[in-house]
Parts: sequence; structure tokens; C-alpha cells
Amino acid sequence: MKTRREFLRSTVLGASATWTVPMFVERTFADMHVAAKDLATQAVTGKDDTILVVLQMAGGNDGLNTIVPFADDAYYNARPRLAKREKDLIKLADGIGLNGSMPYLGSLFKEGDLAVVQGVGYPNPNRSHFVSTSIWETGDTANRSNTGWLGRYFDNACPGADPTVGISLNKTQPESFGALKNPGVSLSSPELYRWMHSSGDMADAEKFFDSLNSPDAPVDGASIEMLGKTGGIAGEDNLAFLERVAMDARVSSKQVLEIAAKHKTKVRYGATPIARSLNMVARMVAGGMPTRVYYVSHGGFDTHNQQINSHDRLLGQLDDALKSFFADLKDQGNADRVTLMTFSEFGRRVKENNSAGTDHGRASCLFVAGAPVKGGIYGAAPSLTDLDKGDLVHSVDFRQVYATVLKDWMRTNPLPVLKGDYGTLGFMG
Amino acid sequence: MGREAAVEAFLNPREPLDAFPLPAWADPKTAFVAMRENFAERRKARMAAERDKSEAAQKEFRMQQQEAQRESRRQGFEGQGWWFGRLMHSQAPLREKMVLFWHDHFATSIQKVKQPALLLKQNQLFREHAFGDFKALTHAMLRDPAMMLYLDTQASVKGKPNENFAREVMELFTLGEGNYSENDIKEAARAFTGYRFDRREGEVVHVRFQWDGGEKTVFGKTGNFNGDQVIDLLFEQEAASEYLPKKLWKYFVEDEAPEPIVKRLAETFRESGFKVESVLREIFSSRAFYDSTVVRNQIKSPIQFLIQMSRELELDELAAGHVTAAQVQLGQVLFLPPNVAGWDWGKAWINTNTLLSRYNIAGIVTKGAESVDEQEAGGDDMMMEMAKQGNGPMARMMARGTQSWKGPDYEKLAPRALREDPERLVDSLIARLFQAELGSKQRAIFVDYAKAKKGAIFTNHEVAELCHLMMSTPHYQLA
Repeated sequence: MKTRREFLRSTVLGASATWTVPMFVERTFADMHVAAKDLATQAVTGKDDTILVVLQMAGGNDGLNTIVPFADDAYYNARPRLAKREKDLIKLADGIGLNGSMPYLGSLFKEGDLAVVQGVGYPNPNRSHFVSTSIWETGDTANRSNTGWLGRYFDNACPGADPTVGISLNKTQPESFGALKNPGVSLSSPELYRWMHSSGDMADAEKFFDSLNSPDAPVDGASIEMLGKTGGIAGEDNLAFLERVAMDARVSSKQVLEIAAKHKTKVRYGATPIARSLNMVARMVAGGMPTRVYYVSHGGFDTHNQQINSHDRLLGQLDDALKSFFADLKDQGNADRVTLMTFSEFGRRVKENNSAGTDHGRASCLFVAGAPVKGGIYGAAPSLTDLDKGDLVHSVDFRQVYATVLKDWMRTNPLPVLKGDYGTLGFMG
Repeated sequence: MGREAAVEAFLNPREPLDAFPLPAWADPKTAFVAMRENFAERRKARMAAERDKSEAAQKEFRMQQQEAQRESRRQGFEGQGWWFGRLMHSQAPLREKMVLFWHDHFATSIQKVKQPALLLKQNQLFREHAFGDFKALTHAMLRDPAMMLYLDTQASVKGKPNENFAREVMELFTLGEGNYSENDIKEAARAFTGYRFDRREGEVVHVRFQWDGGEKTVFGKTGNFNGDQVIDLLFEQEAASEYLPKKLWKYFVEDEAPEPIVKRLAETFRESGFKVESVLREIFSSRAFYDSTVVRNQIKSPIQFLIQMSRELELDELAAGHVTAAQVQLGQVLFLPPNVAGWDWGKAWINTNTLLSRYNIAGIVTKGAESVDEQEAGGDDMMMEMAKQGNGPMARMMARGTQSWKGPDYEKLAPRALREDPERLVDSLIARLFQAELGSKQRAIFVDYAKAKKGAIFTNHEVAELCHLMMSTPHYQLA
């Protein structure tokens, strides 16, 4: 009777001798993907490419108490209990103050590494968290698109890229990653992005698993045309498609785990979830992941009640996490490669409510931060008196922000991604 | 039973529509009484809070609102569990599959409707009409409270028509894009004004003075149409014959529907007076339905994946925590379609993350992912670790579900005698889990694995591990 070791060699690996596991890991994904058959397209390697971090401030951030129009009487009239006084703010420009809980962003602004975009929104705004988030993530104000703006970026601008071209640190896939071909990967924690099986002496189980989750067709020595059979997009049958995704999952899982295990950061991060997420992003950047877009979330901005302390606390946590993150990138020597932008599904109503909070509103501000950014204030501050149903009217379409990031940072044509020409804002270098 | 008899048995299930008692809060006899009382109470509280601006009164009002939201969430989970349980245990599987089809077709989300009882009422309506007259069902949707709230007909009045329902009834429900004009939508929206769901009476009425009774021109016909008359006009359009049969073919057979088949089905559909039953009968009797290129080449939806897994493993139930958490992870939560267009089916269900989640959920349900030590300790470290990663209610539910989860009865699924021969064991499990023969490569790997595992005896845990491995494959995602 054969020993188990012999047995494994002769049956699992032997049955398909051309498939050895280490070979797989070494092989770049780009080789495996049919999209790479267009040899004119340079596969993304990622090691020195630009990186975008998208940071969601979930719940609807109160823009007026983030970037405060402290010289406007209308602001104090509308918010007798919530208004911020000039002395509590970090002054950015005439009449514009940054919430005092964000000293690090204040210093970034002084160094010219923070762009503040005011009055961002979209026509016919929707006040539902669900719908408005969806609109921001898909970039479609009709809320009908089944793909996201980042997913369309992956599909259009990164042919042949690894599935790790986009990594979301959320548990579920953000709508913005929705794609026809490559939706990136989503993991709450790299340790969990793997096939979990019983431990003990069953390390061998992985070999069986790997073999089952590899395409049936032989690949070694195969021509690119043959690869098309397992990696095809158009007309690809469902089994071939599943086998391709299974292999992507398996290999990217190994890659993520290795990198996460290898790199520890020297900078101290806080204990908040957003700090942990950004720490993970920094580790993956340091590890040379071929990732172009990272997506992280910071929640709790739905401040209907007694918002004064909670809102400041959330902004402070964000500020603290960003401080560690950018220090870390600098330490790694990657500061020039990374730009971070925030977004939130909507701002809050101008007038405070009876519970010393604010209700769902419309236009709001957002931040774009990092060494590559041309700091300053962008977009006109919305009027506090000329309102639409009690809400700020937007002066910048959110797709202008996307277009700027896509064109001037990710170096791609925004048109096929945003399905329209929205112009750019000039906040990238 | 021959093929024809089998099809008839599926189309004429004997299971009564009310075979599964609804949760008390959704019982049609009492739900509206409760809703009315609730409505009155909240109104009273709101008015009191408007009169009395004191901190105490405001706090009281907020607490009441939060309590109402909590109760609604609780009902939402319970309602999801109710339908999931019915899907698992129903003796009328085709009918339940059609209810899921209608839920996707007339997509309505609890996120906006917020009243679980209305979603369950709609769910029962889908069951009544599962195989019935599509035109009648579309008429019924005009007066379905959940749909009215979801697509804003509730807020659509003369002078201020809301176009939401008018657009979707054409684009997504009956005709498809390109078969109507923007003007048809504008005019139809006027006809759809004045429909009101009276929360106090639990009835839908057409309020004449809120209805725009003026002249409208829709699809070239002019008249003082009301909503029902516009729906009748929709069904006069040629596109109405093809739209639904095409979607049914895609749902039951393959991702793309061949043109000649659609034409034939469309004819049947129109001749039968839009009876869904006749289209289904034709689909299931067609040669193309049994073609080797389409059999076992459909990607299971998350709901189908979970239901089939439970049935294959002969489970009486899944841990309540697993049911919702798994739906969230896999991307299909009952009563929570992403938007009015419903879910994206087929390949869209699968990405690297959802595929690994499917494998790992199979590991939890089979208990094949637990190590022996964990089993002996009665705990489940790995799953607890998984649950700890998130702090949200989903993670907590998952953890609770896992702690108490007993797993399948492997003594019954794989009797000891069968385990003596790894080949027979694998073949038996393949028949159970795949209902078809597998490629020789997969079978060989399973057999090798089983042989490698088999010591003196084949333990229940080892059977679990084998099942988990078999489910952690691309093939298992197909039906």
C-alpha cells in the first residue's frame, strides 16, 4: 500500500503533472487572463503605479460642521445649538474653518497636501441612505446601473489585471466595485479571505482543493489562444467562468495572506476600525500588491440626535487614523504613490432638528488628501439662504471629482468609466 | 411517472396556499388592526411631541420611534425566516421557485417599504398567482400596498404625478426598454394617480378627486384612462407577449434565450391569455430544456444554493443566524433586492469573495471545516474567529448560529456499511450533492481524498470533510 505522501504525489499532482502549486503562485495573473491576449495592452504590475484609497464616511456626513462657514450669520441662525464658534475651528481661508477635531488635516492643508471640495452633490438628490449611496457608488443618478464607477475603471482601464486590482476592506463588496469582468476582491480581514477547512494533519486537503479549483484544460506550455478557452469572457460557459474565478480566489488569497503576514508597520495606529483598515491598506501597499484602488469605510455619521459630541469624535478618529496612515506611507517611501479621497452619501439639513441633531440633507464637502494633491479649496461654498427645500444646492457634481481622480491621478480617460464628460477640478498635481 | 405527469404534478401542487401559518403580525385578519393601532399611536406621539417641546417629551418620542424601528427589524428577520423555511420545506417547489421569480420581477424592498407585513402580503399574492394570469397579476400590483409604497404611487396625485411606477411597469414589468416613449410614461403616470393605500383601513382605494381624469394619449390611443385601462393597453402591445416568456426561459434554462424559442413561447403566451402556466408547460416539455448544453450549466442563485444544500443534507432547519448572514455574504437577501430591476443573475452572483464565502458557508453547514479538537471541545474556534472579525449584528448572529449548530445526520446520509468502500461512498455522495455524474477528474480526486482519509473507520467528521471538499468546487455552484 502506498504511503499517503506517495499517494498525493502520484494522484493529485501527478494526474495533472503540468500543474504544480508553486508554479501557480509565481505565475502572474495577467498571463492567466484572456484579456491579456491583447498583447498590446501592458498588464498592470502595480509596483510603481499610482494608488487611490476611497474612504466612505457612511451615514451622511454633516458637511457644514466639517467645513464651517463661520462668518455666515445664517449658519448660526440655523444651528443655535450645534454651530461651531470661530475660536474652535482651524481657519483654512476667509470665512472657512475646519472642524477643530481634525488638527492633522489642518496641518496637511498648510503643507498643501489637502484639497477640500465644497458643495458636492448631484441633481435631483435622494435622501435615502440606500439610494444615495448607490448613486455615489455607481456614478449613476438614475440609480439603475449594475456596475460601479470603480468596477468600470477596472474593466476599462486595467485589462488583464489581477483580481486584486481593487481591494475592499469591507465585508461585502461595495457597489462601486461592481464590474462585468473584474470586481476586485473584498475582505474584512486577510486572515479570512481563504478556504477554511479543518486543521490538524489536513494541510493535505489544500492540495486536493487546489486541484479541484483549477481549470480542467492543461495550461502549462499552452498558447495564449488556448488560454482563451478557460479565461474567455464572451461566450465563456458557466463552468469555465467558475473555474477561472475559483483559481483567482485561490491564488489571490495566497498572495494577500503572504503579504499581510510579511509586512508589519512601524507606525502606531489607533484601535478604531478605520485605523485598522488603513493600517491594513498600508501593509498591502508596502508589500507591493498590484492593487490600484483600496476601499475603506468609517461609519456612524447618521447624526440625527445629540450630534455635537458624536460628530466631533468621528472626525477626530478619522483625523487620527489618517495621521498614522500618511506617516506610515512616508516611512515606506510610498507617500508619492497614494491619494486618498473621502465621500459620503449626502450632507445634512442646514437647520438643526429638535433633538440637537441634523436630518438627511443634500450637498456636502469632501476631502482629497496626499502628497500628490494640489491643496486648496475647490468648488463654491453653497449659499445658506438660497436653499432647495431646506437643503444646500450643489455647486460641484460628484462625477467631476471622480473625473479628476481618474484623469489626473489614475491616468485614464474618464469617459467610458463615467459615461459622460463632467470636466475636472484641477486638485491633482 | 412520465415526464408529462411530472410536469403536471409540479404545476398543480396539492400543498394549500396557507400550509405555512404566517407570523401573527402578518396574519391578514389581524395585521391591519395592529397596523392601524400602531399608526394611530405614532401619530398621537408625533402630535404630542410637536406640542410639547420639552426635553423629556422629545426623548419619549425618540424612544418610541426607536422601539418601533426595532420591532420592524425584528419582524423583517422573522419574515425572511418564514419564507426561507417555506422554501426549505415546501412540497410545492416549483411554486416557491416562481414566487422567487415574481419577487425578483416585481422587485420590492423592505428597505423602503419598512412594513414587513406588507411584504408578506405581497409574497402570498405571488403564491396565489404563481402560475396564473400575468395580466391579472400586473393589475394586482397596481393595488399592492408594498409596491405602491416602493414605487411611489402612494404619493402620486393629480397635478403632481410621480412617474416611477409608470416607467417601471413598462420598462421592467411588461414590455422592456425601447418599446414605449417618454411621452407614454408621462401620460400613463397621470392615469396612475389617485391610488391610495389607506393604512387605517388596510385597503387600497382609488380616490377620484386625486385622480387626473383628463384625456391622455398612451401608445397612440386617447381616452380618460385610469390605471387599469393603461395596463390593458400595455398588454395590447406586441412586446408584452415576448418580454415575460424570455425572462422565464432565462430563469429556468440558460443565460440567453434563443430567438426562435422566444417567438414560439410568445405565441403560446398570447393565445393562452397570458397564462404563465402554459409557457412553463411548454418550456418543460421542450427538447431544448433537456439539452446537454443547458443541463447543469446554471449558476445557482444564493437562495437556491442554500436551499438545495439544506435539502441535499436533509436538514430540518438551518441555524437562524446562518440563514440571514449567509444571504448577506452571498449577495441575495430575501425581501431586499438591490433596486427595482431586481437582482443580477447568473455570473453576477460569483466573484472571488462570494465564491470563497460559498465554500466557507458549506464548511460551516456541513461542519466539515471544524477540526476534530474543536468538535470534541464542543466549540468552534475558527468560526468564532470569523464572527469576531465583525462587530455588527450579522457577525453576532453568525456566532450564535454556529455555537448551537448540530450539523447533518451523517449516520443517515452515509451509513457505516457504505463507508467501507470509498468509491461507493463517493458515488453515493456525488448522486446526493450533484444529482448527476461528474467528470472523471473530480470523481478521482474525491475518491483519492476519501482513501487518504480512511483509517480504521470512516468517522462522521471525515464524511463531513469529504462533503465540504465536494462542495468547495466550481461544479457544485451549478444546477
